[in-house]
Amino acid sequence: MRFRANIRRVAMLAALFFIVEPLHAEYLKIELRVYGLDCGLCARGVAASVQRLAGVKSVDVNLKTGILEIVLEPSNTFKMSDLRKRIRENGFRSLEAEVTAVGVFNGSSKFEVVGSGESYDVRRPAVKSTGPVELTFSVH
Amino acid sequence: MSLLRLRPLCAGSFLLLLIGLSPVPARGDGHGPAFAYSTATLGKGDTSFETAMMWREGSVMFGPRVTYGLRPNLQISFSAPFHLTHGEHPTGRFTAMMPGTPEAEALVGWRFYHATPGISTRNEATLYAGGSATTQHLPRIDAPPLRRQPAMYVALAAGRVARTYDIWAGAGYQRYGDWNSQVSDHQSNTFFSSIAFGWRPPFLNKPYPKPDVRVFWETTGEDVGLATRDRTPLGSGGVTGGHTHDTAPSFPLLPLAGTELLRNSGGRAIFTGPSFLCTYKSLALQGGVLFAAYDQPNGDQTHEELRAVVGITYYILGRRK
Repeated sequence: MRFRANIRRVAMLAALFFIVEPLHAEYLKIELRVYGLDCGLCARGVAASVQRLAGVKSVDVNLKTGILEIVLEPSNTFKMSDLRKRIRENGFRSLEAEVTAVGVFNGSSKFEVVGSGESYDVRRPAVKSTGPVELTFSVH
Repeated sequence: MSLLRLRPLCAGSFLLLLIGLSPVPARGDGHGPAFAYSTATLGKGDTSFETAMMWREGSVMFGPRVTYGLRPNLQISFSAPFHLTHGEHPTGRFTAMMPGTPEAEALVGWRFYHATPGISTRNEATLYAGGSATTQHLPRIDAPPLRRQPAMYVALAAGRVARTYDIWAGAGYQRYGDWNSQVSDHQSNTFFSSIAFGWRPPFLNKPYPKPDVRVFWETTGEDVGLATRDRTPLGSGGVTGGHTHDTAPSFPLLPLAGTELLRNSGGRAIFTGPSFLCTYKSLALQGGVLFAAYDQPNGDQTHEELRAVVGITYYILGRRK
C-alpha cells in the first residue's frame, strides 16, 4: 500500500513538473533591420545585449545594411518582443525582420510560433500540414 | 616628473606618439569628437570608464570620467579632472564634457530628441545639465587663489550622425556660485560653443567588428568672463596674504563690502583643429589638437597657441540581463 502511495506521489509530482515547465519557443533565425547603428561601438553594444537574451546562439551585425542576424539555440524560449525591447533600450529602432521559425497554423493565416505565445499573419504555404511546420516569413 | 617639466606642446606630442606606437590595442574615449559637443548617450545599463590627458599653455590636466546609461536616452557621468601643472591662461571648460579647472562634476545627459530616418543615420539632440565643485586652488598671477566654489553647467547639443559623415553643434554655459552666501569669490563664468564635422574615409569604413576609425574637424569658441574676488575686510576669514580658508570662520562675518573684478581673468578664444576616434571591441582611443584661430585673454594672461587631448575609454556594454 505504501509503495503504491509513493508511486502516486511521484506521478503527481512529475505531472506537476510538466505542467509548470515553460514551453519552448521555436525561433530558429532572425534577420532584423535596425535603424541608427552608425559605429562599431553601437554595433557592439547591441550585439552584446542581444547575445544575453535567453536562447541566442550568435549575433552578427552588418553596419552597411543595418541587419542584425540572430541564430537561436534549439528549443529556446526566445521572444521577438524581448528582442525589440532590447533594441529600444540601446537607443535604436527595429524595423522589419525575416524570421525562420517552427510553428502551427491557427486558422488560415495565423502562424503561432511554438511555445512563444507570439503569432503572425502570414500566407499559409500551399502544402498543408496539420502539425508544426518550419517557415520563413517577413514581419513588419 | 621630467615629462611634466617639458613644455606642454612637447609633452603632448611625446605622449601622443607614445600611445600611437604602443602595441597595446588602444581605444578611444567617446562616441564623438574630442573637444566639441556631441549627442550620443550610452544604452541602458552600459558603462564607460574614460581617462584623458589634456594640455593647454602651461597646464597639464588628467581627467578621469565614468558614465552610466540610466535609460536608453539618459545617462549620468562623473568626472574629476585635476591639474598636474598650472598655467596662466583664462580658465574655462577644456572640452564640452570636461571642466577646464580642477572640479568634481556630475553631469546628466538627456537625449530628448532621437530620430532614425535611415540605416546608420540618426538625428538627435541632447541636453546636458549638472553641477560641480572646484577641488584644487588655482594659483593666480596677480593674487592669492580664489576660494573653492560650486558651479552649474547647462548645455545643448544637436547633430546628425551617419556612417560616412557626422555633424554636431552645441553650446553651453557654466556659472559659478559660492558655498557661503557671505563670501563671493567667483571663478570665470564660461560660455562654450562648438561645431564638429566627422568623416569616416572609405578606406577606414570597415565592417563590424573590425576597428572603426573616424576623423573630425572641430572648432570651439569660448567667452570666459571676469573672475571676482570677495572684498571681505581683513581678519574676517577671507583670502589674505596668500593663505586660504575654506571652512567658515568661527566668528561672524562682517557685511560684504562688495567684490572686485579681476582684470587678469577671462577672455575670448576660437580654436580649431583635427581629432580622431578609433574604437575596437570595448576600447576607444581618441585624440586631437586644436590651434588658436583667435585668442584674446584679458590682462596679462598667457596667450594659448594650442590645446591637445588624448584619451582612452573602456566600455562595458550589454551586460544587463
